[in-house]
Amino acid sequence: MDWSRYRPPSYDELIQADGQPRASARRLIEYITGLSRKELAERQLAADLAAREMGVTFTVYSEGRNVDRTLPFDVIPRVIPRSEWARTEAGLRQRVQALNLFIDDIYGEQRILRDKVVPRSILKESVNFREQCVGIRPPLGVWAHICGSDLVRDGDGTLYVLEDNLRIPSGVSYLLENRLVAKRVFPELFETTAILPVDDYPAQLYDTLAALSPRPGEQPVIALLTPGIYNSAYFEHCYLAQSMGVELVEGGDLFVGDDDVCYMRTVYGPRRVDVIYRRVDDLYIDPECFIADSVLGVRGLIRSWRAGKVALANAPGAGVADDKVVYAYVPKMIRYYLDQDPILPNVPTYLCDDARQRKYVLEHLAELVVKPANESGGYGMLVGPRSTKRQREQFAKLILARPRNYIAQPTLSLSTAPVVTETGPQPRHLDLRPFVLSRHDIYVTTGGLTRVAMKKGSLVVNSSQGGGAKDTWIVDFEESA
Amino acid sequence: MLSRVADNLYWFTRYLRRAENTARLVNVNSQLQLDLPRNVRFAWQPLLDTLGVQDAFRRLHPDSEGDAGEADVVRFLLLEPGSPCSLLSSLQASRESLRSIRDTLPAESWERVNGLYLWLADNGERALGRRYRQELLSRVVDGCLVVSGMLTANVSRDTGFQFLRLGTALEQADMTTRIIDAGGSGLIRPRVTDDLAAFRAVQWISVLRSLEAYQMYRRQVRQRVTPALALRFLLQDAEFPRSVTYCLDRVESTLPRLPGRKAVSRALAQVQSIVRGADTVALAEHGPKVMMDRIQIGLVALHEALAEAYFRN
Repeated sequence: MDWSRYRPPSYDELIQADGQPRASARRLIEYITGLSRKELAERQLAADLAAREMGVTFTVYSEGRNVDRTLPFDVIPRVIPRSEWARTEAGLRQRVQALNLFIDDIYGEQRILRDKVVPRSILKESVNFREQCVGIRPPLGVWAHICGSDLVRDGDGTLYVLEDNLRIPSGVSYLLENRLVAKRVFPELFETTAILPVDDYPAQLYDTLAALSPRPGEQPVIALLTPGIYNSAYFEHCYLAQSMGVELVEGGDLFVGDDDVCYMRTVYGPRRVDVIYRRVDDLYIDPECFIADSVLGVRGLIRSWRAGKVALANAPGAGVADDKVVYAYVPKMIRYYLDQDPILPNVPTYLCDDARQRKYVLEHLAELVVKPANESGGYGMLVGPRSTKRQREQFAKLILARPRNYIAQPTLSLSTAPVVTETGPQPRHLDLRPFVLSRHDIYVTTGGLTRVAMKKGSLVVNSSQGGGAKDTWIVDFEESA
Repeated sequence: MLSRVADNLYWFTRYLRRAENTARLVNVNSQLQLDLPRNVRFAWQPLLDTLGVQDAFRRLHPDSEGDAGEADVVRFLLLEPGSPCSLLSSLQASRESLRSIRDTLPAESWERVNGLYLWLADNGERALGRRYRQELLSRVVDGCLVVSGMLTANVSRDTGFQFLRLGTALEQADMTTRIIDAGGSGLIRPRVTDDLAAFRAVQWISVLRSLEAYQMYRRQVRQRVTPALALRFLLQDAEFPRSVTYCLDRVESTLPRLPGRKAVSRALAQVQSIVRGADTVALAEHGPKVMMDRIQIGLVALHEALAEAYFRN
């Protein structure tokens, strides 16, 4: 495999600016260099077949038909040195701990608002703040038991947190399956390189859920609540339920009795459920409490949760910290609740609600990325350097009309890694989503899900828009002699 | 075992078995029609009646008074999306039941059922002409049996498996009575009544063939086919797996593996006693229709008892 024409536009995860492999990736690059283009293509084909056999799919609903698509997988792994990962992991622990303290505070005493570290106006227009959750004290004080934070690397090599997903983050099944595929494709490298394992996640997730049971000391009954077969992440729901050995349920399988206890309908009769890992959005989870005509949820579930008869993960209302305005305050939260300096930096963020920052944003629209505070999936954004004058004028109007609803960030030049293409290895942009589990302690996945834009120059890594994935190796390269 | 999962397991095999029997029924009758001399008319109409879809058919073909033509009936029985009993609808319903419980059965069963459905949806039109009909329907029958074989060979005999067995057994019992009913109500109408007796035998052989029972009948009964003997074989034989008695015995054998429910045992005993008490000689004489209706009503009651006991908790 020839690397002489490999020209990354920005920071590359495997190759240095001088064209040499990074120390952590040296063994991998040497190995791939030793393969012919045909051999590499064969490995890629083997990986595609393996993924299809394992049924690694996501569901796309279009033209009234449901299609299971295989997530594109690129065989060249992304490599992160263990020393860098240790620091990142510590940064994630710190961050998620602070976020959980924040959510608990917001639904409790609201100290952080009283002390004016975060302005009270933050709750105004927060679409994910749930009035119904005020005063509730979930077990262990934890609201976001499962968090997926998106990390991106800028041109100078700095790793930033781009956003925190505290509602129902998905993708962990791909992380686990990608490793199985990579092992089939590069067994030799796993023998000679110290690649840290990732397969502990289902057991860790089970422990996280079991720790929430309202009946400690007894074998907890745990269920994963899915919106059903038409949900794009249904594969993941099946995968996690099976690998944890818990029941996969839909809303209709559950009911809440007059005793406020949540039950499953089984052929043996009703059976009590202690913990629900819900993959249904807050607003659909209980027609008694939120959207009244939702058929995905369970009537009375919030009542049962309030009464402490069933535990919900993540807790309803946890999304309040998912907001991009709240995001801007996370470094302050870390200082406020933990009295520590943030380990992982935020992308600098301008809040349009603040007059001075708004003025700066309006004057620099051509350089900035403007995002709505509560959208996800990259919708409703303005990418300054790629925008037209008319789009900028339109966004200036939108910002002035609803300043709370917009934030702006400098345009980052996302890092790249090589992917296999017909013309040899080509650089493609990527990000990283580690998953963080919170209970008495905090667990962070080893690495995370690396999502990669398969199209040249594209910054969009979402699977729904043609993005793919890579295996992520945390490598102890000093040990792997 | 979640009630919803049990419900879907049951309907998955029920619809699969329905599809297989429908394919067989159309196939055998298409063959029979080819064997008949010109002065004997073959009526497709009774097939609609016995499958209980005459009203749905009439709605689509309001001008077909009494005598529906082959093309319309075959299309309706095989491909009509609006009929709950058409071959394509049955396969689709089987697939949809399976879709939401894919994680509980071996992955290959989903692949096969999904593949069979998509193949029929793409190629079904070809079966409407006589030229390819047999080939195509045989392929559907084979496809269904491959899935049944996979389930038998590869699925653990746990609670869920009992629901797979129940679905197959109830559907086969029901389809057997419907196919008997079709045969007994005169698919063949000779123009000269003298020929009637001769063609009745042909007709009952075709009924046995529709249920893949002809060879087993010959081996076991060792007599030429008469309506009364054929009826006894299909209703009361304890060893032939598509006989009503055998299917009900299978239902009985699953019950000890499930949480006990008196209403289920009661409903089963009731339909068993109807079948046991059937006088096949009299049925051959006066036509099996009323008796088949009674058995079908008993099977509906049994299904209701099962649904109440296990699916609607």
